Amino acid sequence: MSWIRERELSLIERLTANILRAGPMPKHVAFIMDGNRRYAQKTHVERQEGHSQGFEKLAETLRWCLNLGIHEVTVYAFSIENFKRAKQEVDGLMELARQKFSRLLDEQENLVKHGVCIRVLGDLTLLPEDLQQVIAKAVVSTRAHNKCFLNVCFAYTSRHEIANAVKEMAWGVEQGLIKSSDVSEVLLSECLYSSNSPNPDLLIRTSGEVRLSDFLLWQTSYSCLVFQSVLWPEYSFWNLCEAVLQYQLSHRSLQKAQDLHRESQALQQIEADRTCVTEILQHRGNGKPMDGQSRQTALLNYTASREERVRCFLNALQHKRDTFFNDLSSQAVVA
Amino acid sequence: MALLYEMVWRFLHALLYVQRALLAWFRVHIWRWKRAVVGLLLPLALGFHNQKKAVPIGKRSSRRVRWGAEGRTLEKLPIHVGLLITEEEIHYTDIANLVVWCMAVGISYVSVYDNQGVFKRNNSRLMEEILKKQQELLGMDSSKYSVEFLKNGTDKQEHQVLSCQSVVKVLSPDDGRLSIVQAAQQLCRAVEQKERTSKDIDVNVLDSLLRESENIPDPDLVLKFGPVESTLGFLPWHIRLTEIISMPSHIDASYDDLFGALQCYAVCEQRLGK
Repeated sequence: MSWIRERELSLIERLTANILRAGPMPKHVAFIMDGNRRYAQKTHVERQEGHSQGFEKLAETLRWCLNLGIHEVTVYAFSIENFKRAKQEVDGLMELARQKFSRLLDEQENLVKHGVCIRVLGDLTLLPEDLQQVIAKAVVSTRAHNKCFLNVCFAYTSRHEIANAVKEMAWGVEQGLIKSSDVSEVLLSECLYSSNSPNPDLLIRTSGEVRLSDFLLWQTSYSCLVFQSVLWPEYSFWNLCEAVLQYQLSHRSLQKAQDLHRESQALQQIEADRTCVTEILQHRGNGKPMDGQSRQTALLNYTASREERVRCFLNALQHKRDTFFNDLSSQAVVA
Repeated sequence: MALLYEMVWRFLHALLYVQRALLAWFRVHIWRWKRAVVGLLLPLALGFHNQKKAVPIGKRSSRRVRWGAEGRTLEKLPIHVGLLITEEEIHYTDIANLVVWCMAVGISYVSVYDNQGVFKRNNSRLMEEILKKQQELLGMDSSKYSVEFLKNGTDKQEHQVLSCQSVVKVLSPDDGRLSIVQAAQQLCRAVEQKERTSKDIDVNVLDSLLRESENIPDPDLVLKFGPVESTLGFLPWHIRLTEIISMPSHIDASYDDLFGALQCYAVCEQRLGK
């Protein structure tokens, strides 16, 4: 079973897709694919079979997303909390991931054709070594693609991600790349695993649960949340359309809330810069009052130097992350 | 062709808006009718017993007992409920009602949030309304349930009302992402001064920093009022396992609406990853 199912939409589906596309469309959709086990129970099949069908549904959904012009999808594949499940089930899920990522490497052409870039978000070090290597290989080999993006959250929780971002910033401070006063909302966002993608516009959770379960808490603060009662393996094109419709209905208010938030973010940054400049000037000028003109230049200089520091730090961080994946993937080749 | 699609799309959305408006209209008016009918029938029914004078106090205390008892009938009750208002138009009396009902069923912490900071700016007005409603709905003896306005030592903007063992907290986006950033800054400063290393930082360290001194638990339930399907920046760190239940509007929301949501919450099962 491949990652993107090749099947064209029926006439009526195409028509609906075109109508929906006349309105504002989400660019990035996140899925919590819940309900595989309940589906297995309902249809009296093995749990593992439920998970496999869940994966097939993902392949189908990716196709629908492309048809609807949605070019970025993030899915919650495996939570750090899921390690608490029965060993047999965890092993089964790891095996499924191993198969699917290996499969991905076999069907490179397909990925090249669609230009799919695969990213894996999460703490890979928690996974078995061989799986880490397969994942790294898949990530490295599709890194250059830029038509559509699939982010797979594996060994992931949002709190872990945020704590990790803070850790990276602290690392930057240790290395002398940034100062603690450079820490800001924007910088924290840039240190998350998801730094290379925009925030999701729409988050869909299936199977009727109405919570986020530690998924993209930071990134979906201003996203449209849609909870649907259908079990993931039974998800249909029409369910997806319904979710998009919900997004469109909330679109204007969300846009407004996001703008408001961005404004306050910018204001915070200016405020922070101002405080730092005041501190520096007080330090240097022994409390001598300064005229507005030189204050303004000092502020501009400070902002420029902060931006430069942050840029260097983010480059170093990206380099560190790339090296991690490159090393893992080259290990796989040797092995 | 594109034009045709757009027209169909516009028509579809117009239909949906009309449907939504109609639903909202019916909800409000049915509720008003219900109240009018009850108002008409109740005096009639009571007229036979000729006990009119005893009604106000008796009704109040019986209501209070009923709400408390109903709270106990639920399989589980949230400890911390967040009221998330996404509407532009805000009715303070309706919010106060909701807060007081929450207290009456036995919820210990109630947070009120909106993404524009309206409640934070009009904090005293909200608190006044709550006190008024508390008197009105629960008929509380003010000497028995003393109400305090608490100001947090570290943050002067935080206001709380402590009464009847319930804590009411007013929140804005500043308590969300910004508080995470502040915690991050604090940790980085400690690293800068060589008091910590980056390796020490993990989820627990950050969580204990974000869990304030009062040790308020994470919200178990968020009631989202209004048509916008989003949390609009409500405490991102803390809503990891929070059940999010949508309600059409806080305006004219009734006790039954609230109790219905609590019933929904009571039957939810959390597997915590298992």
